[in-house]
Amino acid sequence: MSQASHAPMFVREMGASARFALYALACLVLAVLDARYDALSLVRSGLNAVIHPAQQGVAWPFEFLNEAAGFFVVHGELKQDNARLVQERGLLQARLQDYEALKAENERLRTLSGLPVPAGTRRLPAEIVQTAANPFSRRVIVNRGSMHGVVAGRPVVDENGLVGQVIRVHPWSSEVALITDRGQASPVVVTRNGLRLLVSGMGSDSLLEVRYLDMHADVKDGDELVTSGVDGVYPPGLPVARVMKTEPPRLTPFARALCQPLSGVGRHRHMVILLADSTPPAGHAPAPQAATPSAAARGAAPAQAGAAAAGETGRAR
Amino acid sequence: MNGGTQNGARGSKPLIPQGQVLARPASRGLVYGSLLGGFLLTALPWPQTALWLVPDFVLVALVYWNIHAPRMANLGLAFVLGLAVDAAHGVLFGLHALAYCSATFVVLMLRRRLENFGPSGQALQLAWLFLAQEALVLILGLAFGREPDWRYLAAGAVTAMLWWPASALLDRLTGRAAAADAEGG
Repeated sequence: MSQASHAPMFVREMGASARFALYALACLVLAVLDARYDALSLVRSGLNAVIHPAQQGVAWPFEFLNEAAGFFVVHGELKQDNARLVQERGLLQARLQDYEALKAENERLRTLSGLPVPAGTRRLPAEIVQTAANPFSRRVIVNRGSMHGVVAGRPVVDENGLVGQVIRVHPWSSEVALITDRGQASPVVVTRNGLRLLVSGMGSDSLLEVRYLDMHADVKDGDELVTSGVDGVYPPGLPVARVMKTEPPRLTPFARALCQPLSGVGRHRHMVILLADSTPPAGHAPAPQAATPSAAARGAAPAQAGAAAAGETGRAR
Repeated sequence: MNGGTQNGARGSKPLIPQGQVLARPASRGLVYGSLLGGFLLTALPWPQTALWLVPDFVLVALVYWNIHAPRMANLGLAFVLGLAVDAAHGVLFGLHALAYCSATFVVLMLRRRLENFGPSGQALQLAWLFLAQEALVLILGLAFGREPDWRYLAAGAVTAMLWWPASALLDRLTGRAAAADAEGG
């Protein structure tokens, strides 16, 4: 291969410019196919399945270092931690009993009033294997994929609140768009007064914004925003952000609220993917599906029926 | 000086004038190995807040081999590498492929001139190429309706700074550094 530099009398192969033009054209066609028609998801997940072992292999030493650092913990510290955790666990368990009772009651009341029972969630722990250097969005790649039952669109949380949403699923890994991504909007509700809003990322790790806020909307500094559940994708009640500052309209007819994400977006390596639980629908699914149209027909509680319909479309999507 | 004494020692064979020590031609393993190494470096779990400063290791290796082993590192290889980077970063398919192909094309045009410069001279000449390459990715994304984070332009500057150590390392691995020493001495 390297000795082939004698000049032939007539150039047979294509010139460099022509070859470059062909490759450039191929790249543009690929980009159009990917952007406009979303036609390359199979190729993408195939390539990612090949790349994934390398990603995991590269991430492994860091994991090992973390574990090695954890080995040298002082005994007293460990004991203290343990005592604290046992206490916390007791508290949480007590609260969980309340929660279970409330959940059961809520489900019963919903069946009685003909509203669909919201699908339960199953938690799947996942770990970040790579933070993608993507200049267009804030994404991380986690080590759970379609082989583990991950479905695109599912919410991702940590112990403090919403972190993001699964947007692409590959066989052994998936891409999670963080809520700080500029294109990622999360439907939220203000806990103080039930006002529904959309909070979106700004491309910064520590800020979120409500972009098109009504000039007279009742949003104050310190308000807590939790997921509304109206979209049917995110379960209701996940903490998302706290309002830091509201800005009056300037040059636009809309005000703006700056918020601070409550979860540790971009700070730690472990998160939890909330998957739709497949067990409850086995018992409950037929009832709610029959109940939704009748509730809508009766015109009882139109707001909830609308929400339920939105939920159905969201799930179908 | 060193080269001179060596030539003197070997002076018993004066038929051919003893010229410079030649660098070994790049081996296939080294070329693909360094490209894979660059790819893995990019795939490290970098901190989220410093991602826009992470240099493009793959591009550095690719441009190095474009200059020194143009038969192996050609447009086709640039295309394939670009697609792999696109898939790994979850960017639109073809953005990095196009950027790498155009970088390769430019370097192949200029490689006779670049070969004659040391690492620092090459870094100065290639800096605009790395910057333009980042800008190309961002502008293409913008053309396809994605909103780019312009801070990522800084990665181009960091890549240019990386050129000097990276090419020094690869020079050492190929024996080109020893050749340059002998020539200079």
